[in-house]
Amino acid sequence: MPWRPMALTLLAVLCLLPIFVVIGLAFRPLTSSETAGPTLESFIHVLTSTDLPIWLRNSLLSTIAATVISVVVAAPAGYVISRGRSRAVSAFSLGIFVVQSLPVVIFVIPLFMVFSRLHLVDSLTGITIIFVASSLTVATWMMAAYFDSIPASLEEAAWIDGCSVLGGFVRIILRNSLPGVLSTAIYSFLLAWNDYLIALVFLRSEQNFTLPIGLQTFFQQNATDWGPVMASAVIMMLPPVLIFAFLNRFFSVGGIGGSLAGQ
Amino acid sequence: MVVVNAYPVLYAAQQSLHDGSLIAQGPFVGLENYRTVLTDPSFWKAVRFTLVFTLCGVLGSWLVGYALALAFRRPFLGRSILKVAFLLPWVVPVVVTSMSWNWLVATASSPIPQFFAALGMPDVLFLADPTLAVVMVCLFKIWISFPFMFLMMSAALEGIDDTVYEAATVDGAGRVGALLHITLPLTAKSTYISWVLMSMFTINDFPTIYLLTGGGPVDATTSLVVLAYRSVFQSFQPGYGVAVAFLMTAALIGISLALFRSIRKAD
Repeated sequence: MPWRPMALTLLAVLCLLPIFVVIGLAFRPLTSSETAGPTLESFIHVLTSTDLPIWLRNSLLSTIAATVISVVVAAPAGYVISRGRSRAVSAFSLGIFVVQSLPVVIFVIPLFMVFSRLHLVDSLTGITIIFVASSLTVATWMMAAYFDSIPASLEEAAWIDGCSVLGGFVRIILRNSLPGVLSTAIYSFLLAWNDYLIALVFLRSEQNFTLPIGLQTFFQQNATDWGPVMASAVIMMLPPVLIFAFLNRFFSVGGIGGSLAGQ
Repeated sequence: MVVVNAYPVLYAAQQSLHDGSLIAQGPFVGLENYRTVLTDPSFWKAVRFTLVFTLCGVLGSWLVGYALALAFRRPFLGRSILKVAFLLPWVVPVVVTSMSWNWLVATASSPIPQFFAALGMPDVLFLADPTLAVVMVCLFKIWISFPFMFLMMSAALEGIDDTVYEAATVDGAGRVGALLHITLPLTAKSTYISWVLMSMFTINDFPTIYLLTGGGPVDATTSLVVLAYRSVFQSFQPGYGVAVAFLMTAALIGISLALFRSIRKAD
């Protein structure tokens, strides 16, 4: 039936209009001459004469740090939960669900008060800590769900061969868990990269802004100057789109949804 | 995990019983903050908007996502690339898409108002009219969320055995009958779960609203989360804001437990 791909293509084009707009405007020449073709002027402009490189660096630093820490902590924690099936574990799952359903605002307000005493407000270290904290519950749970699929006989065999518990975990389990680790890393990465609220509350000075906040500020100050704004937007959306394009096998539905639906 | 998650909540609970600013805690005022919140008309306005926003967001994205999942059920030319295309609204950060939605509709000279003007309609200001702003925020939310529903319902449809349909055809069921009596009931559990999750995402959603309208015009799109954020960080009434957040939390836990029980019953 050829009508189906045609109708769906038409629908997809319509649906992606807002994304085409971003790309189209980003490649428009800076000076509004209608004749010229697409150029990189806007990209060169934002990368050389605005604060965008600083925001990009801040975003990359805090996001990558948060991702690495999340995975390093969540993997052993998830392993313990996966191998130690008990009533505590199902209570933990319910606990995660309840915690995840609470409004982020409720964490942000008291954390702000605590952080202002610890001088962690307006610091990248501060928001990295919050990124880790907010992804850790689901990350742990995702790792545990993945370890469940690896038979325990695997590391038991390693123990018999004289491997320690830690050695068995690192050499046997982790080596066989690359997809699980990747999904967890992607989840943590996107949570931190796309975060808006935490950065909005905790970051104050422009040289500490992450991309979303920087971009929003830039947008408010240059609302009519769409070329540079959209060029920055393209830079902002590049990592998630690339991850999605190349690693979409490891994309779990919102981290939590897919696994829950599978239960 | 207990320290990171539980401590802030307890601290916030204590804060909701006190007067004072963000940094310094004021005197103990008991349930005064809750009384103020519950008698405040702007709180009830935010409750109303949150309900509308959540209902539209969840049901709208489910309908679109389900329809797409059904359309993508059988193989066809270009299926996998189109599938990726339809997931993009969910993948691209909200900060980015809110700006392009803004560009499309915000002012009278934006493309979509221009398009309506060309059709002979008067100037439509999508984000300045309170009713239209609510519609726009809901549409924006549906646009962001339907890919999630698409994925969830595609996974659910994959789990249905084709022989069920053959049996139904033998029994004389039409396409609509098969959809109503076989497909929908067999995906009921996934539907429930996706509704629960999406309700949580939507009720707690801050950037989608805040980036598109900032909660305006005249608070028409101020949800409970936006109200809590604003009272804490803009009008500096943390007691009020935290009380709003706690009332929300209580309602959310109630809803999630009730829904979880109904899912278990459905099994």
